[in-house]
Amino acid sequence: MTHMTLPVASGRRTLAVVARQVRAAGPVGPAAVAASVAANACVLAGPWALGLLVDAVAEGAGPRGVLVPAVAIAAAALAGGVLSALESVLLARTGETVLARLREAVMRRAMRLPEEELFRLAPGDLLSRVGDDVAETSRVVRERAPLVLTSLVLVVMALGGMAALDWRLGLAGACALPVHALALRWYLPKSAPMYARQRAQLGDRAQALVGTLQGAATVDAYRLRGRRTALISERSAAARDTQVGVFRLFTRFIGGMNAAEFVGLAMVLAVGFWLVADDAATVGAATAAALLFHRLFDPFGALMITFDDVQSAGASLARIAGVLDLPEPTEPDAPARPAHAGVEVRGAVHRYEGGPAVLDEVDLEVAPGERVAVVGASGAGKTTLARAVAGGLTLSGGRVLVGGAPVDRVPRAELRRHVVLVSQEAHVFAGTLADNVRLADPEAGDDRVLEALEAVGAREWALGLPDGITTAVGENGLRLTADRAQLLALARLVLADPPVAVLDEASAEAGSAGARGLERAALAATEGRTALVVAHRLPQAVEADRVVVMEAGRIVESGPHTELVARGGRYAALWSAWSDGRT
Amino acid sequence: MSESPLRRAVRRNRRAVAVAALGHTLYQVCETLVPVAIGVVVDRAVATGDPAALAASVAGLAVLFAALTLSWRFGARTVVRASEHEAHLLRVEAADRALDPRAPATGLGAGELLTVATTDADRTAQALHPLTGVVGSVVGLAVAAVVLLRIDPVLGGGVLVGVPVLVAIVQVIGPVLTRRTAAQQEALARASGLAADLVRGLPALRGAGAEEQAARRYAEASAGALRGALRAAVPRGLYQGATGLAGGLLLAAVAAGAGLFALQGRISVGELITVVGLAQFLTEPVREVGYAAMELASCRASARRLEKVLHAPFRLDAGDPGAAERCGGRGTAPVELKGVGGPLGGLDLRVGPGEFVGVVCYDPADARALADVLAARVPAADHGGSYLVGGVPAEALGPEEVRARVLVEPHEADLFEGSLASNVLTGAGDGADPWPALRAAAADEVVGAVPGGLEAVVADRGTTLSGGQRQRVALARALAADPPVLVLNDPTTAVDAVTEEAVAAGLRALRHGGAPRSTVAVCSSPALLARADRVVAVAEGRVAAEGTHAGLAVSDPRYAEAVLR
Repeated sequence: MTHMTLPVASGRRTLAVVARQVRAAGPVGPAAVAASVAANACVLAGPWALGLLVDAVAEGAGPRGVLVPAVAIAAAALAGGVLSALESVLLARTGETVLARLREAVMRRAMRLPEEELFRLAPGDLLSRVGDDVAETSRVVRERAPLVLTSLVLVVMALGGMAALDWRLGLAGACALPVHALALRWYLPKSAPMYARQRAQLGDRAQALVGTLQGAATVDAYRLRGRRTALISERSAAARDTQVGVFRLFTRFIGGMNAAEFVGLAMVLAVGFWLVADDAATVGAATAAALLFHRLFDPFGALMITFDDVQSAGASLARIAGVLDLPEPTEPDAPARPAHAGVEVRGAVHRYEGGPAVLDEVDLEVAPGERVAVVGASGAGKTTLARAVAGGLTLSGGRVLVGGAPVDRVPRAELRRHVVLVSQEAHVFAGTLADNVRLADPEAGDDRVLEALEAVGAREWALGLPDGITTAVGENGLRLTADRAQLLALARLVLADPPVAVLDEASAEAGSAGARGLERAALAATEGRTALVVAHRLPQAVEADRVVVMEAGRIVESGPHTELVARGGRYAALWSAWSDGRT
Repeated sequence: MSESPLRRAVRRNRRAVAVAALGHTLYQVCETLVPVAIGVVVDRAVATGDPAALAASVAGLAVLFAALTLSWRFGARTVVRASEHEAHLLRVEAADRALDPRAPATGLGAGELLTVATTDADRTAQALHPLTGVVGSVVGLAVAAVVLLRIDPVLGGGVLVGVPVLVAIVQVIGPVLTRRTAAQQEALARASGLAADLVRGLPALRGAGAEEQAARRYAEASAGALRGALRAAVPRGLYQGATGLAGGLLLAAVAAGAGLFALQGRISVGELITVVGLAQFLTEPVREVGYAAMELASCRASARRLEKVLHAPFRLDAGDPGAAERCGGRGTAPVELKGVGGPLGGLDLRVGPGEFVGVVCYDPADARALADVLAARVPAADHGGSYLVGGVPAEALGPEEVRARVLVEPHEADLFEGSLASNVLTGAGDGADPWPALRAAAADEVVGAVPGGLEAVVADRGTTLSGGQRQRVALARALAADPPVLVLNDPTTAVDAVTEEAVAAGLRALRHGGAPRSTVAVCSSPALLARADRVVAVAEGRVAAEGTHAGLAVSDPRYAEAVLR
């Protein structure tokens, strides 16, 4: 099976997605830009007033000629302080609101991703979009966007201010721009592959570290410390060398920036010299222009240095927008409602992307309340059959009926109430133990949570935890073993209380002792329901009303345990192999 | 007490720090001289209209900018090289320390250790940056002070007092800002942690129909993070406003004073421009000093976390140098547990040379505890009993020598990235043949099923393989290592009944068919237990029954219930 990756939006689409969110944030965005322009005008009023002051001194004016510009500077500082505080708050408000909307939207969309796509996605793709890409965008929007915007406004206004003193002074300052552009054009194509290599090497380094530290028990057992440390050292050294190389390149780029500063400043002073000599401008105007240009060193630098960041955030945004642009899953046109707890599979055929048939003309009828176990080697199609019955799969051919209604025509919410799938990957969510059970029914009180735990035989264990059912579990709490995690999944099933339950190898990964507890729990959790149980261990099959044996996508045997054993077919062979060691 | 990692980082890189500080200082001086140069050029060339002066000015500026960029490049490269290398050394040292067989008691999980070996190693080494920055800034300030005082003592003195005072006042808002920012980052980290958690558990959410509820839960967390961010934005805005305001007021005062002095002829127009330019510029090095202090505080916090790993006390002793000889090389030797307590209840267990013993623990916790003791991961003081390998106490042998004789394969088998072959041969000698072990573990099917066969690439932790495949490859690895004593933990829980049979037969034939090897299988698999020479049942941490599988299955109802059900 080949993995899919989620789409990445085009630049235009990405801009449209962001623009929509900015518009939705209301007048805060434009207000922030206005505040930025006004605040920067105040900043630039300083050098401009200094020019007047220099002129007043040069002309030998009275103290008024000095004090008026000085007061103007103070007034501009006051107004500028208030405006720049406002600018900062408004920009943060816009940026943070847009970020929150984006991350909520991408999560909402991710949660609604059709099962089939979810199943085929390259592992980690979705995770990196809701995780890394959201984090990268947030970082840049929070730390860089205000700086970039202010710098941009300041550069434009300062060049404009210089031109207002004399258009030739503005032009002289603008001579720095092509040098900046040259530096960027030299730097970006050279740095991009180095950054890519660096990211890959950091990934390799992290992998060596994570693998080693998480596999510490294995490292101990096989005395691999020397080998693993050597691997970590090798990868860490490679990443270090690239990092140093990237920085060498960066320092040369900064050299280009300094060259641009020199060219601009020298041009401004030379043009000022010529204009003053020609009496076209005052010494004060030339001074103001030079000081204005000196004020531009920092914003120019900020724009150049953040260029990478802005590009990287753009790439992350495009990946986020790609998720947002996915078509919404549609509800069926002619909805059907399940009328009873029976399940029917008719002529089911399925292949993944034109591969061999994983399900090949499967017919199966499960009567209301019947417990059917599916047995077979891995790759026989058991999981595919389970997913098809739970409605998580569009079959290539044939159909599945739940309660007489075609599964693809039952509205999703309704289907979830009717059929619950307990899958192989038991995940313990970060939160309390009770929250984990309550996922199936947010309204359920503690008493119902405890009842559900009791039904799967986990009540004693849960109450024995440090904080009972309010014990924090998962990522930052108590780590649960795989069999306990499966118990929680079964308790969820009990709380959800659907007429039909599909269990897929629910105890496959647990240790033997735990596996038996789980088998009992699974039996209790499916009591009174129609159940399709993918049986990994044969005892699960013994307890079922009927066993179906799958091989290469087909059902090859079907009947109660005793009957199949007596028949002497494939199931009987499996059974004798299993029970040989037991008597 | 040994030296802290931060101190050592500085000591190891003394030369680099000194050289980088020199470069940075030169750079700061050049930056300071830019506004000075503007004043000089206006004074000497623009105001006079002398073309020769203009040419000299432009040439002078060129030299200044060349010196500026080269000194920065030199200093920055030196410090980056030094800090990257130091981070690398710290990282390797931390990882190596965490893997020490003497089991350092760091109290940290794998995830936290990863953070220490990456983020904290980097942060500690980065302390070299603010150190060089501070030196450069202080010298830059001194040069500015000399220039200012030489122009006019009153004016210069005023600027030199005024700038630090203003910066200090503005910094008062700093702590408020950091507090709110920390809270904001925490809320955001919680939200993104929740997102990752929900996406990882998406299949489970789907199965339970809880995806809409999950999206709502995330939206709430995200809204909380947004509220935190908006709260943090206010002090940050005030900080930015106050910084601008303070700088502007200082500029106004200096401009008024210097302007009046220039009117009186106390200073020239060029000197006026220089004073004003320096007043604007001075805020930068002053702020850098304050920033460096904050940076160093954060580096120190990282260094402390790193120290917890680098200086963690060992839980186990290395053993006595002569003990290994007393236990007779690394051939098969009896393994004996006597009165082992702790989580166990006084367990006695002896495995003779060449014996195949099955151990059934009614409580999975006992199985884990037993494996830990056999793997020499528990200090004798913690279990209160004795663990003898070849008649020599394990603590005398030391963990390395015990593990050279007794291989305890963890149940949660971790494969490492590499080829299937390299994984299987992890513990085997050079040029070993993987096939006998592969066949015995029924892992030859795995080799046949994955593209590339023996050379197939296995991802770290074996995630490219299914649970059953992973388990068989790990078992093959244990068998290929051919240790004198092999302890297996539930080695067949993820394989089907037919394969389990084949594995049990293969295991018996490989380990007990030729050269005498001892095997302990801690499990409840009848297929394996039936092939053991002897089975020991453990209840409440001590031996409850002993015999053959067939015998116990008939005579001991509790055993039968646990194994046969």
